[in-house]
Amino acid sequence: MSDAVETPKPHGGDIVLDYELDEAPEKVWRALTQPHLVAAWLGPNDIAPDVGHSFVLEPAPDKTVACEVVEADPERRLSYRWREANEAGGVVDSTVTFEVTPTPLGGSHLRLVHSGFRTAGAGGLLGVANDNTLMQWSAKWAA
Amino acid sequence: MALESYDHTGVFRALADPTRRAVFERLMGCEMTVSDLTTGFAVSQPAISQHLAALRGVGLVSERRAGKFAFYRAEPAALAPLVDWIDQYRTFWPERIERLKDVLKGMDQ
Repeated sequence: MSDAVETPKPHGGDIVLDYELDEAPEKVWRALTQPHLVAAWLGPNDIAPDVGHSFVLEPAPDKTVACEVVEADPERRLSYRWREANEAGGVVDSTVTFEVTPTPLGGSHLRLVHSGFRTAGAGGLLGVANDNTLMQWSAKWAA
Repeated sequence: MALESYDHTGVFRALADPTRRAVFERLMGCEMTVSDLTTGFAVSQPAISQHLAALRGVGLVSERRAGKFAFYRAEPAALAPLVDWIDQYRTFWPERIERLKDVLKGMDQ
């Protein structure tokens, strides 16, 4: 795991997407946090922008994601844990974060980060606190 | 979107065990014998051998025999199914953000 000369890739496997939107942060925030609006672009859900709130999201008919809000800073930042089952009876955990910043012309910059993919056993998390190594392996493999 | 279209069950299962993940990680970048590996783990040599067998079964570890010694190394390319699995989100999110844009256009105010 220790290769001192390798360029650090702290976000080696993260998905980072940036968008310029015409709408103001207030409006974008509503589209990110109100269930009926979220349902229209992401899937049925019972989201609420409250830290600790657990909700279920169905992005596709055959797919269920267990989410938990970990950060909710109105009109600025929303982050939730994204937990999916895998076929082996375990789970894959990751985190989805939306960052909203106002732009000079009254619109918003939206950054979406899907990161921290890690796998754990059937019984839940198995000591994965220090185990965000999957992406490092992947980065090494891809290098 | 079909996240189910890849056969990653075996790789997931093999990596679900923390000791096995640690074994795999130690074998990244260097070949080791079972006794090399046993040093540093609070796990018996037969247990390590069992973990190695499971990792070999899904292609995450390979074995090279030299005389009476067997050397093991990680095969990170076997992680490809996991990488593919994650990569599907690289198409999922842009599609959904396009829908989000439509939602925003349709909102009042």
